[in-house]
Amino acid sequence: MMTRTLRIFSQRLSVAPQPRWVGCLGLAGSVVVGLAAAGCGSAVVSGPSPDFEVARALRDELGASTSETETADTAPQGIGWATLKGRFVFSGSPGAAIALVVDKDTQVCSKDGMKLYDRSLLVDESTKGLANVVLFLRNSSRVKSEVPTESLLLDQENCEFLAPVFAGRVGQPIDVKNSDPIGHNTNIAGTSFNQLIPAGESTIFTPARETGLPVTVTCNIHPWMKAYAVFREDGYVAVSAADGSFTIPDLPAGEPLEFQVWHERSTGRSGAVSLEQPDLKWNAKGRFKIELKADEVRDLGTLEVPADAIKG
Amino acid sequence: MNMLVSMFEREYVTVTNFAAQAGMMTLPGDLSEPLAMGCRRVRDRRGHVCWLGMAAALLIPLVGAGCGQTAAASYRLNLVESAKQRLRPEQEQQVATILAALFGTPDEPVALAECGLDEAKLKLAAGPVRSDIVGRKNGLYREHCAHCHGVTGDGMGPTAAFLNPYPRDYRPGVFKFKSTERADKPTHADLVMVLRNGLAGSSMPSFALLSDAKIDALAEYVKYLSIRGEVELALMRAFFELDDEDQGRLPDDREFLIDEILLPVVESWQAAEDALIDVPEMPTDIDLADSIAKGRELYHGNKANCVKCHGVTALGDGQVNDYDDWNKVVVQAHTTVQGGLERAGETSTWEMDADEVAEYRAELAWLDRYESVLGGNALPPRTIRPRNLRQGIYRGGMRPLDLYYRIHAGINGAPMPAAKGTVPPEDIWHIVNYIRSLPYDFNGTLGADKPMVARDRL
Repeated sequence: MMTRTLRIFSQRLSVAPQPRWVGCLGLAGSVVVGLAAAGCGSAVVSGPSPDFEVARALRDELGASTSETETADTAPQGIGWATLKGRFVFSGSPGAAIALVVDKDTQVCSKDGMKLYDRSLLVDESTKGLANVVLFLRNSSRVKSEVPTESLLLDQENCEFLAPVFAGRVGQPIDVKNSDPIGHNTNIAGTSFNQLIPAGESTIFTPARETGLPVTVTCNIHPWMKAYAVFREDGYVAVSAADGSFTIPDLPAGEPLEFQVWHERSTGRSGAVSLEQPDLKWNAKGRFKIELKADEVRDLGTLEVPADAIKG
Repeated sequence: MNMLVSMFEREYVTVTNFAAQAGMMTLPGDLSEPLAMGCRRVRDRRGHVCWLGMAAALLIPLVGAGCGQTAAASYRLNLVESAKQRLRPEQEQQVATILAALFGTPDEPVALAECGLDEAKLKLAAGPVRSDIVGRKNGLYREHCAHCHGVTGDGMGPTAAFLNPYPRDYRPGVFKFKSTERADKPTHADLVMVLRNGLAGSSMPSFALLSDAKIDALAEYVKYLSIRGEVELALMRAFFELDDEDQGRLPDDREFLIDEILLPVVESWQAAEDALIDVPEMPTDIDLADSIAKGRELYHGNKANCVKCHGVTALGDGQVNDYDDWNKVVVQAHTTVQGGLERAGETSTWEMDADEVAEYRAELAWLDRYESVLGGNALPPRTIRPRNLRQGIYRGGMRPLDLYYRIHAGINGAPMPAAKGTVPPEDIWHIVNYIRSLPYDFNGTLGADKPMVARDRL
């Protein structure tokens, strides 16, 4: 408590434009409080402290219970499969493309005066389509297709990852390739995968766990190289194309589905994209719920991302 | 003035630490750390105010120590992560309570059967420094480790800010120097080796004077703190995954806490013992000079690409503007806060309705809190330093085998990538031989300002 009081006062001091003597008073006050609180036997706390009564009870409970084997799933399960599609457009102006600072291996990375540009906000000029929006299912009760055994390709060329956002499936091998005449390394955050990829060679990476929100893919040798990757258990994930369109086929029909939407430059929590749609309710975490009928192809139409939902 | 204050600050840290040592935990790291940091923040803006704070800070431990009673030490919550995840105070408290249920307190650690940890060893390492009735010394972690690594194992003990490199933060569960594959945890023997040998070139000393049993207990305790820290991160991140119906509270049943959160962490530690890197014999059918020559070509070539970070001179002066994973967290947090404050500064509330204004205020309050958490609960980020290979000092050990591990698996948590799979084992051995030759590759005519390209010299 004493610590917290002191810290709160020092925060105040450094933030609020108060005259100095107020600060002095504050600190002096906290000294008094602190001394009082430091009386014998009082615990020094920083941050919220655990409720030990509850903790003890919880520990006993965890010790006494055993994991139940597969509780009967009460969630409604439907029959059949359906497709969800739509198209993201950006209503603001994307601004001029920003050239990246390329200062290594320039004989390859900026050969013939080639320039690399920041790709965090790609808007199609004619259709206004917003590319690289990620959309994935959060709660699949069943999956139509098996995990494919053929590998996906994660390629890099001209010192740039070909796909700014890469979607994969847990258990499906990914051929991490380097099509450049120089060496790269590919570092996928949160997976401990960070591998040297010599010129023209490739290596296999098989994601073992879901990522939740997309994680970064970088090359430490060429710090401007950046992409994102998302891996899902069920493979129900889409990345919007250059015109902003996306399609997820073979979704479980006849049961409530919840989708998560993400974009690298979104101002929402951790990149979550929340839209205001008349017939589709999105929450602050960038999620919406929907139920599809068997064999239905539901088109969400044009999903407009307002200018202020994207970091300028 | 500034110099005086910083001198005072140092003095203060010393005194409080001394008091903590003398009073044996009247003042756990938890009090002295935030106090010192709070002062540092204040000093930045209003130097002289802090004098008062100093005086108070000096008094408090003395008063506290006078009572002859020991206040219970407590774990510090990972407030940087909780600010990132925008946890509310009651959510932070739920995390703290779950952690107390699963792991106990610094004085009374608990190891559930699922943890696979030896509670007797933990008890030897935990708690205040003291001797029991048969004269056996307890509280080893706080005696030897906590001043750098912190009571919580967050790498933020009172001395941490003065060290370079910073002490390891165990909480993400990532360790650099080990005999296992990159993504795997270290084995128990790996931790024991670090404790026994120290880490050359860092502030981590050798604890070879401690008995095997004590080192064993400390290694077990590091594992315990690391598992605890990883579980904490998993719990905090789990809030984002909650459904609307959960109303912002984590489930507290066994399926979630044990099966979903605790076991994956514990299993990754248990799997480490079987994830040893398979090291083939060093090729013997090649002269050492030829092997070194091959290694040199690999070092500079496009295949192994060591040159990009360690530099053409091998002085570690290649890629130096990158961050390791621990520092990256702080850098990204600073970027988030800065960007958020800039956007808020450009926003006008003029045409907002009441809800939007409330949202705007909440956003500002969050940024404010995030900023102050970073000020008090994180060390200033530092860029990486690729190893200077001409010194012959290698953190993770100087045996050829140690260098083989580093090149094969890379260094987890650091930008150093793995060569495994794309560079054949015999080539890794050639690089090892070349690296080992570098400290002896001296050219007497070389000026310090004109390092020569290593490839041209040999």
